[in-house]
Amino acid sequence: MQPFQYLRAESADQAVKAGTHAHAQFIAGGTTLVDLMRLHVMKPAALIDITGLPLDQIEATAGGGLKIGALVSNTDLAYHPTVSAKFPALSEALLSGASPQLRNMATVGGNLLQRTRCPYFRDGTSACNKRAPGTGCAAIGGFTRPHAVLGTSAHCIATHPSDMCVALVALDAIVHTHGPRGDRAIAIADFHTVPGDHPELESVLVPGELVTAVELPASPLAARSHYRKVRDRASYAFALASAAVALELAGPDGKARTIKDARLALGGVATKPWRAKEAERALIGKPATDDTFQRAAALALDGATPHDDNAFKIELARRTIVRALQRGAS
Amino acid sequence: MKPAVGAAIDRVDARAKVTGQAVYAAETPVAGVAHAVIVGATIAHGRVRSINTREARALPGVLAVLTPDSAPRLPPAESNPKNPGDKILQLLQDDKVWYTDQPIAVVVAETLERAQHAAAAVVATYDSTPPVAEMRAVIGEAFDPIELGPNGKAVTTRGNLDVGLAAAVTKLTQTYTTPVESHNPMEPHATIAVWQGETKLTLYDATQGIFGVRNKIAKLFGLEPTDVRVINHYVGGGFGCKGTPWSHVGLAALAAKAVNRPVKLVLTRPQMFSLVGHRPETLQTITLGADANARLTVIRHDVISETSRFDQFAEPSAVATRHLYSCPNVVTSHKLVRIDIPTPTFTRAPGEATGTFALESALDELAYALRVDPLELRIRNHAVRDEQEDKPFSSKSILECYKQGAARFGWAKRAPDPGTMRDGDVRLGWGMASATYPAKVSPASAIARMKPDGVLLVQAGTQDIGTGTYTIMTQIAADAMGVPVEQVRFELGDTTFPETPVSGGSQTAASVGSAVKAAVTTLKAKLTPLRRSPGETWGQIVARSGQPEISFEHKTEKRSDAHAYHSHGAVFVEVRVDPDLGEIRVSKIVAAYAAGKILNPKTALSQFKGGLVWGIGLALQEHMVRDRRTSWAVTRDLADYHVPVNADVPDIDVILVDEPDPFVNALGAKGIGEIGITGIAAAIANAVYHATEKRVRALPITLDKLI
Amino acid sequence: MASTVSADSELRTPAGLAIGELADGVVIGGLARYPATGQPRVLAFAHAWSPADDELRALRAELRGLGAELLVLSPRGAWSVRPDDPVEALPADQLADDVAAAAGRYGVVAGHDAVFVIDGGGVLRFAHRPAAPIASGQLAAALAIAGRELRRRATPARPADRVLFTRREWSVTCLVVGCTSAFLAACKQQDKPAERKPPAPAPAADIPTTIDITLQINGQARKLTVDPRASLLDTLRETVGLTGTKKGCDAGQCGACTVHVAGKRVVSCLTLAVMAQGKDITTIEGLAEHDQLHPMQQAFIDHDGLQCGYCTPGQIMSAAALVRENRATTDAEVREQMSGNLCRCGAYPNIVAAIQAARRKA
Repeated sequence: MQPFQYLRAESADQAVKAGTHAHAQFIAGGTTLVDLMRLHVMKPAALIDITGLPLDQIEATAGGGLKIGALVSNTDLAYHPTVSAKFPALSEALLSGASPQLRNMATVGGNLLQRTRCPYFRDGTSACNKRAPGTGCAAIGGFTRPHAVLGTSAHCIATHPSDMCVALVALDAIVHTHGPRGDRAIAIADFHTVPGDHPELESVLVPGELVTAVELPASPLAARSHYRKVRDRASYAFALASAAVALELAGPDGKARTIKDARLALGGVATKPWRAKEAERALIGKPATDDTFQRAAALALDGATPHDDNAFKIELARRTIVRALQRGAS
Repeated sequence: MKPAVGAAIDRVDARAKVTGQAVYAAETPVAGVAHAVIVGATIAHGRVRSINTREARALPGVLAVLTPDSAPRLPPAESNPKNPGDKILQLLQDDKVWYTDQPIAVVVAETLERAQHAAAAVVATYDSTPPVAEMRAVIGEAFDPIELGPNGKAVTTRGNLDVGLAAAVTKLTQTYTTPVESHNPMEPHATIAVWQGETKLTLYDATQGIFGVRNKIAKLFGLEPTDVRVINHYVGGGFGCKGTPWSHVGLAALAAKAVNRPVKLVLTRPQMFSLVGHRPETLQTITLGADANARLTVIRHDVISETSRFDQFAEPSAVATRHLYSCPNVVTSHKLVRIDIPTPTFTRAPGEATGTFALESALDELAYALRVDPLELRIRNHAVRDEQEDKPFSSKSILECYKQGAARFGWAKRAPDPGTMRDGDVRLGWGMASATYPAKVSPASAIARMKPDGVLLVQAGTQDIGTGTYTIMTQIAADAMGVPVEQVRFELGDTTFPETPVSGGSQTAASVGSAVKAAVTTLKAKLTPLRRSPGETWGQIVARSGQPEISFEHKTEKRSDAHAYHSHGAVFVEVRVDPDLGEIRVSKIVAAYAAGKILNPKTALSQFKGGLVWGIGLALQEHMVRDRRTSWAVTRDLADYHVPVNADVPDIDVILVDEPDPFVNALGAKGIGEIGITGIAAAIANAVYHATEKRVRALPITLDKLI
Repeated sequence: MASTVSADSELRTPAGLAIGELADGVVIGGLARYPATGQPRVLAFAHAWSPADDELRALRAELRGLGAELLVLSPRGAWSVRPDDPVEALPADQLADDVAAAAGRYGVVAGHDAVFVIDGGGVLRFAHRPAAPIASGQLAAALAIAGRELRRRATPARPADRVLFTRREWSVTCLVVGCTSAFLAACKQQDKPAERKPPAPAPAADIPTTIDITLQINGQARKLTVDPRASLLDTLRETVGLTGTKKGCDAGQCGACTVHVAGKRVVSCLTLAVMAQGKDITTIEGLAEHDQLHPMQQAFIDHDGLQCGYCTPGQIMSAAALVRENRATTDAEVREQMSGNLCRCGAYPNIVAAIQAARRKA
């Protein structure tokens, strides 16, 4: 680990001011940052400890949604009674990620900014455009089983690792920030960026911009939301493929009801938490049947680009989507 | 008094372990110890052209940066290529690079944080040659190994293959592969090196074999073995990688010499994937033939495994095939392929773990081809004697294992056709396999000391790697002396104690146990005539003698080779497979083992279960991947290299089959540390086939192979 | 004989023996104890000392650090102490005479104590003459002085690194944004005049390489000097000496380092020590109530929920938290909630059994 200055912020403004420096990083749970600092992948010269800021509350919003402070732990969020009752996909996603210990440490804000598990990014020495822009991408042509098939570029195929963010995409969450130019609200689907020519940029945040809260708007979709994750072992593993669905069904219970509205997001297969809009459109207005689900799943993976070891993810993601939709609709 | 041996007593070291008081090697308190960090090569094949250490050396708290240019020179030392326990080490003595992560520099600093930082500041350049990272790229270059280390010959032939093939009505030939596996015990390898002057060295080292470390380091540094002391009271798991000393042990001693101060060197988790050996990839081709009665007429088992450019280790996968079943015509062979990787090594049940996957999978395939129940096929081909060695088994109770295991599992209810057992949408699969591992024993010694206060102190320079050595030796000594276990103290992990073999090959209980039993028995015989009254205690006898203790040391002899000595077992598994997503969960394991006298059922059950958990990893998860272009270990941490977590493991039902054995050793006990991982991988693969009709012959069976 | 006694190290002995000179051997009970055998020795004249278990642990650590054996001489006894062997009481015929003779050769005045370090070549490297006698329990401290001094002489000084924010800039930032008074007070204490100017690129200055912190560990406040980079795990193990918390992966991937911070289970490897200030920290060493094991510890023993024992403290800390969290009832739930703790020995079934037993009792 490089030496750094440790500074404890007493206010959001103070944190933002200090955070504008290119070599400063905010730290809260530390589960990503401390790990990557020890691997010499991230080398901040100053850590701004934001854990003293009053951002650890979950509050009901006037519209019937929730506003979740950026410092709320993944555990507290997952087990929050309103979240598990009204936004089940979010609870399920959080609880499918990491371990109880890490969930106790990790914050909502930090989870949004989780960094890829690409081994070539993490090893500190391989060519990596994300870690060292312009050096190339060692993953392409290498071991690509964990890598993305959607949203990739010629410069980066690293998978976004978060489970939580996939659920947030399906729940139309809004990210609230406080930055050098004031406050703003960013739709979650616009928050993360695909690598394109700049894999080193992963979100639309500007230097010093601090995530203060994540808002879950009230939505007729949220109650019937579900997260399904597929991985290499029963627990404590990153997704090979995951799907978050949120459905609003019309018509009486029983046989095939009509899908009035739908959200579908994918994890484990894309360079950012992936919203499958085409697939959503293919669901809306259709009966909630396996045929509908399979057509949507196929559309969701349209244009997926496999590499040497991850072609299976395309079929796996389709099947995961179908399973999540079946469950969400049931 | 009820015998202690055979009783399910608690581990005598359990309290120290659950309270955090057990001190592992790296935790030995050493005032002012400096911290060393290894800098690894980033190429797999070539030479170090230059190493720039200026920035590293200028950082605060850095005491030294050792490189091939600056490291102290060691006297030339040869390794014995016939002994896979005598590895060739990389100790900064030249600029050659044989594998990625190979040590090319060692940074020593006042604190760990400073050493880690400085290590990252060392910059090397290389003259690199494109490496070969995969065995199959150069499979045509396979050659015969010198030999199989403790397993003797690489090639065996009995009978005649052509005759066997001609006699077969059903034949199959299939190729099975097992991946590179990494041991990754939870305790990373660690060494604290303390020089006492120029010629005496103490090493606190995480090892399964303190004497092996002592001898190797003494040889490397030109010291007398008695001038090197190795201490290790608790070992945080080994599984083979701690069976032989690796480069970091020598580097710690070298660094301590260079900075003239004690040095602690703990491997990082990523280094655990490259610097301390691995289970090599194997490619195994098996031919089986059977007659109309489902009797084997021919077995051919050819194994190719990878090794490094500079050293030899052959995975002896076909060794169990030589004796497990009755068959008149059997050929086994092992070949090696050199690629640009570190040298592989022993991994829990080396040979048997991988070999039984291939053999027991092939038998399952044969059973379907013959339309015979897989269990029935094994019973019909039961071997009464070791047909390869042409010797009787000292004991063999595998038929009883089949019987008890099948009954407990409910095997009779198995639907014979694959893909037909369901639980709702989930496919169920039932599979089974035989398990086997040799009952090894080596000469060992122990000393028994009766103290005036009545404490029986027994010492042997062995190790407890989680196997229960502390506990079972205490039990053996208590019975031999006729005292309760509370009166016995057993000490281990110090080369000043009597010499014992490496804690590998499942031989510690039998080897050290025999020595402990003999030493205490003789001590008792020595004390008995000194008794003045029937009520006089052993302690009183010693107290009366005026001596601080009365002791006796015993060294056991080599065992007779009149018999073949093996443990056996039968493993039955249920898997649940999601037909769409390919998720496999092992939902039930019943395993019956016959392994001679069980010294402590409590610790024994843990050993068996642990082996079975390893089998789940071998079958379904573990795969150390190297980059096919650079030979770089890509899965280099415990997030990318999957080992089973708690949620992967069902309740495991282990049956201990009673098996008296008067020949195997003085205790009648057979080692149990490794048999648990034999057979299980095939049983799982066979269950997966039974569930899905998909035969996966390349481990691990990850879900992508099913969808 | 001269009577100057000083707490200072490195001074000429009255007999003429100086640092760097060849030291004499010592004869006890007719046996020469200190010939130059190649092994460093520590010779302690400590007339009130006797071996006690509490001190021996620290003493052994110091001896390992010095790579030395220790001979303690007093008129009442003589002991040979080696780092990894039982203490050996030397035969004490004519002990008083032998000790007096040795003291004479080393210039130690009767009734006073001293510690000498002699290297493997028999050369005197360090001498320490405390003003007061070395009481039982204080010999380790005297050796620690020797170790620190010898290491200090061997270690060159190094320059420091570049920093991003000077203390002044941080305080300016804090003033500009009008931070809370507590922080302001802290800033003012550190840096008196606060100038109003925007933060500029940092000039070369020293990043502090150590930082003083206080951690509340197992109910005890510990004042520590640590590297700001130090994890809570390394701080516990390397600085505090609480090695029950294990390092398995140093990356949040195994759970061996699980401790409780503010009542919650966390991995200490990804927790910076500096950020753990002000929170209650409980480690495996603090789980038992004196000699009474925590029910989870007892359950792990009863159900053999361990083999090598290395993951065990983390498993137990995790399991103890699991019971408190009260989110797992079935075996399947316990397995899932314990999946952040790897056990390579494969003790999982027994761990689940232990937790269920302890949970039902709780």
